[in-house]
Amino acid sequence: MSLTIALSKGRLLSGAAGLFTKAGLTFPPQDTRRLIVEAGDLRFLFVKDMDVPVYVEYGVADAGICGSDVLLEAGSDVLVPLDLAYGRCRLVLAAPPSSGFAEVWPATLRVATKYARVAKGFFEARGQAADIVKLQGSVEIAPGLGLADCIVDMVETGRTLRENGLEVVEELAATSARLVVNRASDHIKRAEIADLIARLKASL
Amino acid sequence: MHTRLQLPQGASCFTFDEARRRRVLETCVVSVFEGWGYDEIVPPLFDDAATFDDSLASQLYTFTGRDGTTLALRPDFTSLVAKIAAGRLRQVVAPLRLYYSGEVVRYEPPRAGRQSEFHQMGLEFLGGGGPAADIEVIAIAIECLEAVGVSNFVLALGHAGVVTALLDECGLSTDDPRRETALESLNRRDPIALATALDGASRSETARKALVGLAEDNGIRQSIDGARKVLGGIPRAAAALDDLESVARTLDEAGLRDRVAIDLSESRSLDYYTGLVFRVYGGDLGFDVGGGGRYDALLGRLGRPMPAIGFMLGLDRLALLVERQAGWAAETVAPPAPLAATSLGASVREARERRARGERIRFGGPA
Repeated sequence: MSLTIALSKGRLLSGAAGLFTKAGLTFPPQDTRRLIVEAGDLRFLFVKDMDVPVYVEYGVADAGICGSDVLLEAGSDVLVPLDLAYGRCRLVLAAPPSSGFAEVWPATLRVATKYARVAKGFFEARGQAADIVKLQGSVEIAPGLGLADCIVDMVETGRTLRENGLEVVEELAATSARLVVNRASDHIKRAEIADLIARLKASL
Repeated sequence: MHTRLQLPQGASCFTFDEARRRRVLETCVVSVFEGWGYDEIVPPLFDDAATFDDSLASQLYTFTGRDGTTLALRPDFTSLVAKIAAGRLRQVVAPLRLYYSGEVVRYEPPRAGRQSEFHQMGLEFLGGGGPAADIEVIAIAIECLEAVGVSNFVLALGHAGVVTALLDECGLSTDDPRRETALESLNRRDPIALATALDGASRSETARKALVGLAEDNGIRQSIDGARKVLGGIPRAAAALDDLESVARTLDEAGLRDRVAIDLSESRSLDYYTGLVFRVYGGDLGFDVGGGGRYDALLGRLGRPMPAIGFMLGLDRLALLVERQAGWAAETVAPPAPLAATSLGASVREARERRARGERIRFGGPA
């Protein structure tokens, strides 16, 4: 029996490669275009970051690595036993400094974001009506163009925000890369999963 | 009126081999229940919405009865079976061994292996207390899986008393929202979220550490001995561990050790379960196919106090598991044979004769 690991070819990939190598686990060469790669005992699936928890929830992959922002958004029923402590970012609410709505929000706020579920939950908890505009990327330009009043997005350094005339209103979550594990694999492949977690933990 | 051909999201419909295979599986599982001396109960399709467990309130399909009462389609069987045992069957001497097989409906967002409408097959051992009843239910669950041809499966065993004792010890009362967050985090085995939820609720440092340990340390979560080292000082948690250990030891003696695995972080529906809890997982299927546990407090709330334990399997998930592990026999039934007779009257006679011999025929007029 061997494990199938779901990874995304995004900003978390090189960190994953470093961790796996340090842990003495095999890792596929990063220049391949193939989306399913066998390396030693492990099989790797390269999928979109938002899809990592989906593959793991359905048990197509036994484990995976994704950001905690992705987990918040996907709402998948997966185990999250280990913080891999890299790829740290912040998920924030940001708006143009001139808008002044940080104090009093308009009756219905228009929010551009990739994180529709997170944004919806956040504003619901505040009792604020929000019109969520789901975008796939370049969210930062939405307020300047009048598409939205504000955005919910990931921020690493804050430079993109500043260059697009936005500032952080509030932090929704501090995020980092997480190991996710399928519920059934956790029992059916108990020894392999335990070994994977122990090795990754030891190399943090 | 225009009929939309698509069924509503979450509704299901089975035909041909799919329907036949479900029926075969159901018959097989029901025969195991019957074989262990359980009697069938056929509960109502709907009841007062208040009958069903609070935890299911947001998932109920409710409607208003003619007299204005709020009714709901059944979202599970246990609350109905318990209510009937405490009411109409109160004169029947306990223990009661009852099984059911039927549809339940729950509003569920579309997710892995879940529909809004699904078929549960399960049993309730009302008045069954102590390790003997625990073992009986586990043995039946194991036989059900074996009987349908699943070979690679594990029952993950936990004990509601462990987590409940630790949460209480931390000072998180049942109306504290942090208790919910802590349970949710433990259920996802997320040590970071759990530590955050317990922040400031650390009346007992031992209990707080033990809870976080359950989420992050397999040596505690998956081993009774390992767990005892960190939570032995909390009497109720230690008692729960003793309870679970005696079940595990008996399963050992019975040669069933390979069929079970300890998972002390199992923490779903804790307002309901009071003792042993378990989930059934199979290889090649990413989600559980069923589960159960001990609920000693429920019957008392209905005025007929007695211990109880039950378990159920989801028919469609079980069908998926069988398909992945054992596959299906190519033909489940013989193709129907046409008749040879030359008049309609003779056809009826021939049909009845061949039916009496148990043949599968296709009726029609003379050739």
